[in-house]
Amino acid sequence: MRRLAVAVALATLILGAAEKKLVVPAGLDAYLPVPDSNPLTAGKVELGRKLFFDKRLSRDQSVSCATCHDPAIAFTDRRKTAAGVNGREGPRRVPRIANRVYGKSFFWDGRAGSLEEQVLQPIANPKEMDLDVAEAASRVGLDVPALEQALASYVRTILAGDSPYDRYLAGDAGALTARQREGLRLFRGKAGCTSCHLGPNLTDEAFHNTGVGWPADPGRYQVTKVETDRGAFKTPGLREAARTPPYMHDGSLATLEDVVEFYSKGGQGNPYLDPEIRKLDLTAAEKAALVAFLEALNGKVRDGM
Amino acid sequence: MLHLAAALALATTAVEPRVVWSDASVTLLGAPSPDGRFLSYVEPGSGALSVYDVAGGNKRALVTRPAGSNEFAYFSTVSPDSRQIAFAWFNDEGFYDLRVVSVEGGSPRVLYRNEEAGFVQPCAWTPDGASILTLFFRKDNISQIALVPARGGPMKVLRSLHWVYPKRMDLAPDGRFIVYDSFAGAASGDRTIFLLAADGSKEVKLVARPGSHLFPLWTPDGKHVVYTSDSGGTMDAWMLDIADGKPQGEPRVVRRNLGRALPLGITRDWNYYYGVRSGASDVFVTTLDSPAADARRVTLRFPERNSMPAWSPDGRRLAYLSRRGTENFGEQARVIVVREIDRQEEREVAVKLAHIERVRWSGDGRLVVSGSISKGRSGLYLVDPQSSAMRPLIEEAGGPYRGFEGVMPAGGRRIYYLRGEGELRARDLESGEEMTLARGASLSHLALSPDGKTLACVAGPDSILLTPVEGGERKRLPFAEATELDWGKVLIAGKGSELWRLDPEGGPPRLLPSPGNRERGFSQHPDGKRIALTAGKEKSEIRVLRLR
Ligand code: HEC
Ligand code: HEC
Repeated sequence: MRRLAVAVALATLILGAAEKKLVVPAGLDAYLPVPDSNPLTAGKVELGRKLFFDKRLSRDQSVSCATCHDPAIAFTDRRKTAAGVNGREGPRRVPRIANRVYGKSFFWDGRAGSLEEQVLQPIANPKEMDLDVAEAASRVGLDVPALEQALASYVRTILAGDSPYDRYLAGDAGALTARQREGLRLFRGKAGCTSCHLGPNLTDEAFHNTGVGWPADPGRYQVTKVETDRGAFKTPGLREAARTPPYMHDGSLATLEDVVEFYSKGGQGNPYLDPEIRKLDLTAAEKAALVAFLEALNGKVRDGM
Repeated sequence: MLHLAAALALATTAVEPRVVWSDASVTLLGAPSPDGRFLSYVEPGSGALSVYDVAGGNKRALVTRPAGSNEFAYFSTVSPDSRQIAFAWFNDEGFYDLRVVSVEGGSPRVLYRNEEAGFVQPCAWTPDGASILTLFFRKDNISQIALVPARGGPMKVLRSLHWVYPKRMDLAPDGRFIVYDSFAGAASGDRTIFLLAADGSKEVKLVARPGSHLFPLWTPDGKHVVYTSDSGGTMDAWMLDIADGKPQGEPRVVRRNLGRALPLGITRDWNYYYGVRSGASDVFVTTLDSPAADARRVTLRFPERNSMPAWSPDGRRLAYLSRRGTENFGEQARVIVVREIDRQEEREVAVKLAHIERVRWSGDGRLVVSGSISKGRSGLYLVDPQSSAMRPLIEEAGGPYRGFEGVMPAGGRRIYYLRGEGELRARDLESGEEMTLARGASLSHLALSPDGKTLACVAGPDSILLTPVEGGERKRLPFAEATELDWGKVLIAGKGSELWRLDPEGGPPRLLPSPGNRERGFSQHPDGKRIALTAGKEKSEIRVLRLR
């Protein structure tokens, strides 16, 4: 008798004295790496959520975190590159920010080592919210560490999971269509995507040069000053990607079809191209299957406690 | 008086481990029961999940495979009340599922069966017996630490790890903390011990000193973790104190030089069970006429760690595989060594492969290596024995980790290889064109005739297939259960420890003299008189060290 353990179960974690539960969606690890210096509490998370939507954190009170990181579309926007106060354009695409609690470094080039280090930077960034951080904190009646801790705590609770792919992995073979299953086979096999996009969040959290945008943006080189890191960017997780075009750090690829075509051709040639990026010569049917598989990574996004 | 005698006995047994089981059945895949009365193990040959009664030495099979199947038991762990065993079972679909069976016997229950996580290793039970702490290895090369309910139901994944498979994990007796080994850092090949809260609330690195720290196990009071480490130059057992999930003070050595040890578990009365392997095989050169008398060992620096020799086409060099590091399951750390046979010279070829399955020589003196690189890509690689420069000849993402069997004649233009279990192919390396030379249910073990005209491979359980490389009629030589093939001056098949000379014209096979302890891997010297082979019998035994 064949018995499938269909894990649609939701792992739950009891946090803090308030006994509020953070529900980790199916497919993600129950273990959430949270620093000892900023434990998750329902109070901080709730405060962080309010701040995330608070436009007072920008110079002219026109922009909040949520302006660029829209919860309706997995905490990103639809633009090629970001637009901050006064429509000032930044150089890079707004990333989806789900499952960042599992992240090891932050921003496309990994220049922030923790979410605490990361969350105040958009406030000070002249192309984003353009406000002195101390002033931002005083506008919302907090000190800077409290602002930082609350925002970081809230970002940690933004989780994406519970997709058809997760149900498939848990043993429900019918959760993926035949074409999606073929796409998954290619994703792991011929197309070699799992060299970089693997695990519950479909990322190795490492930096790779795929040639996107070469040579305009030095990427990881800006952080390490190691020449061979030029043009390398952090592998993004792929959950909810199918519903959040455009793609890549510069938003240069408009559709998933374009992304798959880009990989099929072997990326964009340059001296530091990652050895895992190579000509794949995928057939039209194979490309369609890969796109179908990426669509199976759309699930549910939840935030707060 | 009595009291003193007991204390003295304790003091002496605390230092000397004692052998509790040593015979041909010993396998290192089981665990002691918490009450110390029996060991679960896999009976070699039958693959049955079995128990070994420590006091009486009796053996009993609990779960056997259906007649005619290839199924077998693998890792197992015994419940806190010593009445149930959770075990991995290699099933009829070719992957491992998780099962539970009563120590009294009866039919096992399947708790988890899912090809997506097709390798399972049950490591410990929660103290209430409700869940089994299990390691899964998934198809996308991650491993997962999870709790599987013993009465069925969805599992809970606590932690995913990329590109690494812990050697062991264990759950504290109070069920609150898990310990496991994994890479010490992003750029490190060394492993160390981590502690993970069973509710997922925190993780700490327990051991920060250099060296490889492996196989963590909890002591029965939950106050110490015992693990193995090579940081002292040999494989030693160490102990670290833990309080409330945090390391206390510095770890200390409990016992130096365990040998080639593989820890199995700690019983409630503080007996540390571990398996030890000894007498491993080595590479010998001998004569075809009188192999036992003429054998001499040819490896120099790393005795008893070598296998699978291959003569270079000019007969002056011998390449073989040499094991490095600690005892291991699955992926073995192996390197390629090239020995100049007329000089006392041995050199390691530094290839960047995560797994090396086999090495051969191409017709023009380069190495053809089967194996896989670290990122899930595998195949056949061409390696320059001088510079170690490597390039893929045939490579596939998601291919078998052992790579493909292949032979490459002189000229470097062509390679013949076996794809999967069913296809013998030729590839023109310049044009990339491929041709299927033969197809069959299960083709394995490829060899090329010295004139480069005929390929031999094992075809199913009862024949050898001869295939002309330029097409033409194929021929079948009846020969049962060949496990190896080598074509030098003559065509020789290995079958267990035996060597048989086959007649490509169809004459009857002839048994050659061979040392009784021959193991897999042999190669004929081009002079037709000498042969290099692997010999020696690996032996395992179970020892117990009293920790208190
Ligand atoms: C003007 C648009 C904009 C605003 C406003 C904005 N961000 Fe971002 N965010 C971005 C862009 C663009 C990046 C990537 C920048 C880079 O990599 O250099 C980013 C990156 C991030 C990341 C890193 C994600 C990762 O995976 O590396 C986090 C977390 C984040 N933002 C949180 C916030 C928070 C919290 C706020 C409010 C305080 C905020 N953002 C406001 C555009 C914005
Ligand atoms: C060598 C590592 C690597 C491999 C292999 C790889 N990727 Fe990526 N992927 C990346 C990196 C790095 C980026 C971000 C590149 C950038 O923006 O400069 C990325 C971006 C993406 C994106 C865009 C996500 C977003 O939010 O913008 C998609 C979709 C994607 N990859 C899918 C795939 C598929 C499908 C494959 C297999 C055909 C694949 N990747 C293979 C590293 C890799």
